[in-house]
Order: sequence, then C-alpha cells, then structure tokens
Amino acid sequence: MRRNPLGRVVLTVTAVAISLAFLVPVLWLLASTFRTATETFASSSPLSWDVLWPKDFTLVNLESAVDSGFLTALGNSLLVAAVTVVVGLGISAAAAFALAVIPFRGRSVVFTIVVLSFLVPFEAIAIPLSRSFSEWGLTNTLIALILPGLGNGLAVFTLRQFFLGIPHSLSEAAHLDGANWFRIFWSVYLPLTRPALIGAGLILFLFQWQAYLWPILVTSNASLDLAPVAIAKSFGAFSTDYGRVFAETAILAVIPAVVLLALQRYFVTSVASTGSKE
Amino acid sequence: MTAPSLLTQAAGSRRKGARITRRNVVAAALFLAPTVVLIVVLRIVPTVSAVADSTRSGLPGSLAAPEFVGVDVFTKMFSSASFWNSVTQTLVFNVIVNPLQILLALALAVLLTRNIPGRGLWRTLIFLPAAVPLAGSTIVWGIALRPDGPVNGFLELFGLPAQPWFTSPDQVIMSLIILASWIGIGYWMMFLIAGLNDIPPVYYEAARIDGAGALRTFFSVTLPMLRRPLLFVLVADTVANFVLFAPVQILTGGGPEGRSNFLMYDIFHRSYELSDPYQASAELVVLLVIMIAIVAVQFKLLGSDDTGEE
Repeated sequence: MRRNPLGRVVLTVTAVAISLAFLVPVLWLLASTFRTATETFASSSPLSWDVLWPKDFTLVNLESAVDSGFLTALGNSLLVAAVTVVVGLGISAAAAFALAVIPFRGRSVVFTIVVLSFLVPFEAIAIPLSRSFSEWGLTNTLIALILPGLGNGLAVFTLRQFFLGIPHSLSEAAHLDGANWFRIFWSVYLPLTRPALIGAGLILFLFQWQAYLWPILVTSNASLDLAPVAIAKSFGAFSTDYGRVFAETAILAVIPAVVLLALQRYFVTSVASTGSKE
Repeated sequence: MTAPSLLTQAAGSRRKGARITRRNVVAAALFLAPTVVLIVVLRIVPTVSAVADSTRSGLPGSLAAPEFVGVDVFTKMFSSASFWNSVTQTLVFNVIVNPLQILLALALAVLLTRNIPGRGLWRTLIFLPAAVPLAGSTIVWGIALRPDGPVNGFLELFGLPAQPWFTSPDQVIMSLIILASWIGIGYWMMFLIAGLNDIPPVYYEAARIDGAGALRTFFSVTLPMLRRPLLFVLVADTVANFVLFAPVQILTGGGPEGRSNFLMYDIFHRSYELSDPYQASAELVVLLVIMIAIVAVQFKLLGSDDTGEE
C-alpha cells in the first residue's frame, strides 16, 4: 500500500462510493420525514438531487405521528427494551459466571446445552410458544413481550468469554478472604466487566428493538403495540400518504442508530469474541 | 507426625474437598437456575408442543379436540405442491442470499482493514443500516422500490425501463435479497473485521518475506486464519435468513404467485389466516429440524475446543 499511491486512491474511492450507496436510503428516509409525500414522489420521478433534501421543510409528518399515538408505541418499546436489558444482563451474567468461573462436573455439557438451545433462532419456535403463552393467560401483557428477550445465547457467550479472561488468582484470593461465590461475582467480577456488560446489553437491546413477529403473536390490544408493529400498521393503513410512515420509521431507526454509534466499540469487542477459539 | 494423624488429616481434607465440591455445585445451580428455567419455558416446551401438535388433526374451525393421527399430517404435507413450493422458494432465497452477503461482507472487511483514510467512518456508514429495525428497513425499501419510487427514477436516468420489483413473480426474490443485504452486509462485515484484526501480523510479515503477492497472501494467510469467524457468520446469517418474516408479511404476503411464500411465512399464514394449524405444526417441525441441523453442524465444525473448560 505504501509503495502504491495509485492503488490507495482507487481503494479509497471504492470505499467512499460503497459507503455512500449504503447511506443513501437513510438520507432519503430522513429527507422524506421532513417533506410531504407528494414532494417525495415528485422528486423521484424524474429523479433529481432534491430526492435527498427537502425543498419545503415541514414538521407535519412528525406531528401526525405524535397525534396518532406513536409515542405510546415508542414508550412501550423503550420500556420493554429497558427491562429486558437490566433483567437479561443479570440472568446472562450469572449464567456466564457459573460457566466460566465456578468449577463443577459437567460444566462443558451445560455450556453446550445453553449455547445450542439459544442458537436456534427464536422465530422458529415463536408460534407454538405463543399458543402456550395464551394457555398460561399471558396474552396482552408486558411480561409476555419481555420474557423471550431475557434468554440470549450470544449475551451469555460474550460474558463467559470475558470472565474467562479474568485471572483465576483474583477469585482464589477472594476465597481465602472468606468471600462466597456471590460476593466474588458481585464485587470482584462484575466491576471488571463493564465493557462486556455494555456489549451484551446492546445485544439484548437490539433483539427487543427489532421484535416484530412475537409482538403480533401475543398482543392484540393496540395500546400494547411496540413501535415496529405500529409502523407496519400505519404502512398498511396509509398506502396513499407515506409521510407519517416515514416519520415513524425515522424515529424508530434514530434511537438504535445513536445508541450503536455511541457504543460501537463495545459492540465490536463483543462481536470479536464470537470468532475466538476459547 | 504419627501415621494415624496423617491419615485423619488426609480424610479431613477429602471431606473438605467434598464439601467444596458440593458447595460449588449448589452455587452453580443457583447461578444457572434462571437460565435453565428460560431454556425449559422458551425452548423445550414450544419444541415439544410443536412436535405434539404435528401428530394431531381435526376439521378446520371445529371446536372438537383434535385427534391423534400419527404421521398422517406429514404424509399429506409431503404430497402437497404448495409445501414443496415453500421449501423450494426458501432454499432458492437462502442459496443466493447467504453466500452473496458473506462474500460482499468479506470483501468490504478486507477493504476496510486496509490503510485507507477515514476507514472508521466508512465502516460505520456501511454498518448503519443494521441499526434500522427490520420492520423499518422493510418499509423504506418497500416504498423505494415502488413503481414510481426513487430506484426506478434512478434507472430512468440511464434510460432503463421501470422495474416491477416486489410486484413481479420474477423479481420478488431479488427485491428481498436487496433489502436483506442492505442490512446484513454491514452487520456481518463487523464480525469479519474483528476476525481480521485477530490475525497476528507476523503471518503477513512472513508472507511478505516469502515474496507472496496480495492474492497469494489472501488465500494462504487471510482465508485459513479467518475460518472460524467466517463459519460463524455464514451459519448465523443462514439461520437468520431462514426465518426472515417481517418483509414477507409486510410487503408481499407470500406472493406474487407464491414466489416469496417462504416456510416461516407459510407457517404463520396457515396458523392464523388459513386456520390450518396442523400442517403449520408439521412444517414447523421441518423448519426446526433444519435449524437444529445447521446449528449442530456449526458446533461440530467449530470443534470441541469451544466447549473446553479453559
């Protein structure tokens, strides 16, 4: 590379062009949020540069989204995601700690079962599970929306990788001081685990923020709609005016985008552990 | 020290060892209990009930309890053309979309681990679509690929005719591939970049000293060293695309002409809109078997060292 400046220019231009191609739909979504649907379609045929920039800037789509109760759906999504992250982290970290630190017979078998059972994607068993949930009287409850997000194999895996990297001497020293396993988990391991906890928290958050099939299976009450379900409903109902649909989609997308941009390096670190040997 | 006291001491430490072992098992059980409960409730119960449901049948809409019919539902399903259509379309979609996404993700990962200016920014921009929830990106592309949408407007600039995209039986799979790839490529690229960064630089040094060119280095150093992340990404991508649901349900409803009637959507559609939960359960068992097989193969290929103690 250093020896070939022309090659470097070609590679850079390629990288820029591809990145912009990926970015264009996002820009179009944002531009369409701040203009009327009529203007959105007028700018696409014939296509002009205006397609990526609103000419008549308006907040009418956002107002329409707010008036139609989209904020309730957004609030539901935030609540479900927040509870999932907090409770899910506790459950995953405890499991990961047992699987990485506490020596007991059959540990590797238990680890295999945990990872294998969570590797089968949730959607594959969502439909029969929703029938059980309705038998248990959980239909149209927040618990039904939260529960499936709590068990996450990737979160357990990420945290276990991190725990394995913490020197054993620390837990041995704590043992000699008379600390029990819970204390070692809480006071020795967790404080050292912040980056992995953030990475695992992101994994749990994204799962719930994306949820679409499960919410439509277990809720019929519109006041419990999560944001993705609400935008799909607006999309189906307003096939002539897409303005509100764009606004709702933009709001739905902005939140995880900001979270991911801010915490990208933790996501990358947790992702890195999936390919590692141990 | 006399012999008897040595013996008692040994027995004592054995007792102590047993006590520690027992204490560890109890602690591990407590730490794992919530996860085990979740596995039972969220994974084992629905799997068992899917298998049980698939052996029963009844008249559609009837209130009478369904009867046990053994493998009859499967026999009927295996002779139904619509089932094989769903299987075929699911496979066609997956055979194209997964290798395509992973190849492009790999190419981009290699490109963006080169020493080029602003590579962090380019990575972020390509990763950004993965942050948009699937229902949202489905709607964005559903509108962008409308006959009067901006994509056709773009084609028009080059004098190309407008395409029907999601509304055409011949283009619906391609349209879904574009949508899935816009999200998937950047997401899996991040995993591969992490894998590339894990390759010790000394291997590249060695290749350079041996006078290997860029291509030779890629095939003899990069690819073999990237085996594990590549395999993980390929399997995870495949498993995810096998259960792709939101775009089909929101945009195509399995059509046109059943071309996007993938297994996952067909199961949903049969259960809730055609009230044929019996064949839906049988199809679900087929889907589950495929999923479990893919995951098991991955586990096997990644080797037993993943389950190792330390």
